[in-house]
Amino acid sequence: MGNGILTDRSDNVATVISDITKGEIISIKTELGAKEIEAREAVPYGHKVALIHIAKGGEVVKYGIVIGYATRDIEQGEWVHTHNTAEAYVASVAT
Amino acid sequence: MRKPKINSGVETGPQLDAAKFMGYRRPDGTVGVRNYVAIISTVGCANEITLDISSRVIGTIPITHKQGCPGVAWDLDMTMRTLVGLGRNPNIAAVLLVGLGCESVDRERVKEQIAKSGKPVELISAQETGGGIKTTALGVEIAAQMVQAASEISREEFGASQLIVGAKCGSSDATSGISANRAVGNFADIVVNEGGAFVFGELADILGNEQNLANRAIRPEVGQALIDAISNYLKRGMSLGFNLVGAGVTTGNKKGGITTVVEKSSGAVVKAGTTPLKGVITYGDAVTGGGLHILTGSARGAELLTGEAAAGCQIGIWTTGRGALQGHPLMPVIKVTGNIDTWNRLRPNMDFNASGIIAGTDTVEEVGKRLFEEVLKVASGKLTRAEILHYDRFMDIDGFAHVV
Repeated sequence: MGNGILTDRSDNVATVISDITKGEIISIKTELGAKEIEAREAVPYGHKVALIHIAKGGEVVKYGIVIGYATRDIEQGEWVHTHNTAEAYVASVAT
Repeated sequence: MRKPKINSGVETGPQLDAAKFMGYRRPDGTVGVRNYVAIISTVGCANEITLDISSRVIGTIPITHKQGCPGVAWDLDMTMRTLVGLGRNPNIAAVLLVGLGCESVDRERVKEQIAKSGKPVELISAQETGGGIKTTALGVEIAAQMVQAASEISREEFGASQLIVGAKCGSSDATSGISANRAVGNFADIVVNEGGAFVFGELADILGNEQNLANRAIRPEVGQALIDAISNYLKRGMSLGFNLVGAGVTTGNKKGGITTVVEKSSGAVVKAGTTPLKGVITYGDAVTGGGLHILTGSARGAELLTGEAAAGCQIGIWTTGRGALQGHPLMPVIKVTGNIDTWNRLRPNMDFNASGIIAGTDTVEEVGKRLFEEVLKVASGKLTRAEILHYDRFMDIDGFAHVV
């Protein structure tokens, strides 16, 4: 059992299933075997961690779906949340 | 990105294990998993009589709500269609409608529409009968006869293609999207491939995934119906001064790790599995045939489950992270949690443990298959915790009447 979960093979973030401390190794089970990354900062239970470098403006993908866009460069092992990710939803209705 | 299967979901897929359950045959060909006599208020102000009658007669369920009068035409029409759908639900053997007498909703028409299903229907009204006491007495007598007749109906064997299952997620947490909802999505694929129907709703929890779902529609107009429903939903909010996009992610959601509306809805819509979208149904209307369906309307449990019951669902599945307790009078509601802590602490109210997905001891497919087996058991008579503990009386019909 790892401490990170991947919901789709195309995801570039994983959900951690325990409180992660800075420097801790996060182990994620993938189809290609376990992937291990080092947490660059603390990541709370249920939150997301970047599996790869995500450039500013790049897609944040979870469940195989673009859930947001990076508002600045996000490094592998960084916590991914509202401080570095913007809403992906654009309302289809005129405002 | 998730690719839909080739199987249209409309025709019966391969019968993997020839899954069967024991249900009740109704005159219109539908199959119930429970055998209740429904005491149905045609208007909210008859609720007291409905509850009195139902409390006196074993085998009955009270259908109460706040709708029926007064109301705008749109509301009254939806209330009427919903009452008809509830009366026609296959879990119901016979119906006693209880009115006040002066309500706006057309109770005679409700009776006629339910009677078309071939099941016994009676209508009583307090103002005609002479008040609450006499109406309760009359209703108890009628209901007792209906229950005795219904008790002679026996369970028979049916294929899983007869199943119509509704889903809801509520009191979600970080575990919901990565465990319980994924298990339900896998279950949805199984039931649809068996030829059954799967219904989910909650426009608030679809926001941001409407295009992905519309792309899975069997026909462009089905997808467009969903896009229109979302658009109307957002417009309704704006007409009242609310931005429903901004409201989507709560403080609690953010604390729990949900960053955007799309992330929230993505965790919710995994319940829909991977089969094509067969239909988008308006609240109050019925599902016809198998396949994946979306019910438009409220995300609130009391209203959503009623809409699913009116659509013909025999069973509800409710995924929860923190622990939602409520069921519904008309359907057994299976409580599924993927949070091991909630499973242990709220065990008396929970039915199904999906936490093995997070622990790494079970795959999503294993848990989905086990959930399918559990649904067949419940369909055959196994009681859910909400039924056993009688946490199943809270319900309502969707509508705008409260702002009239």
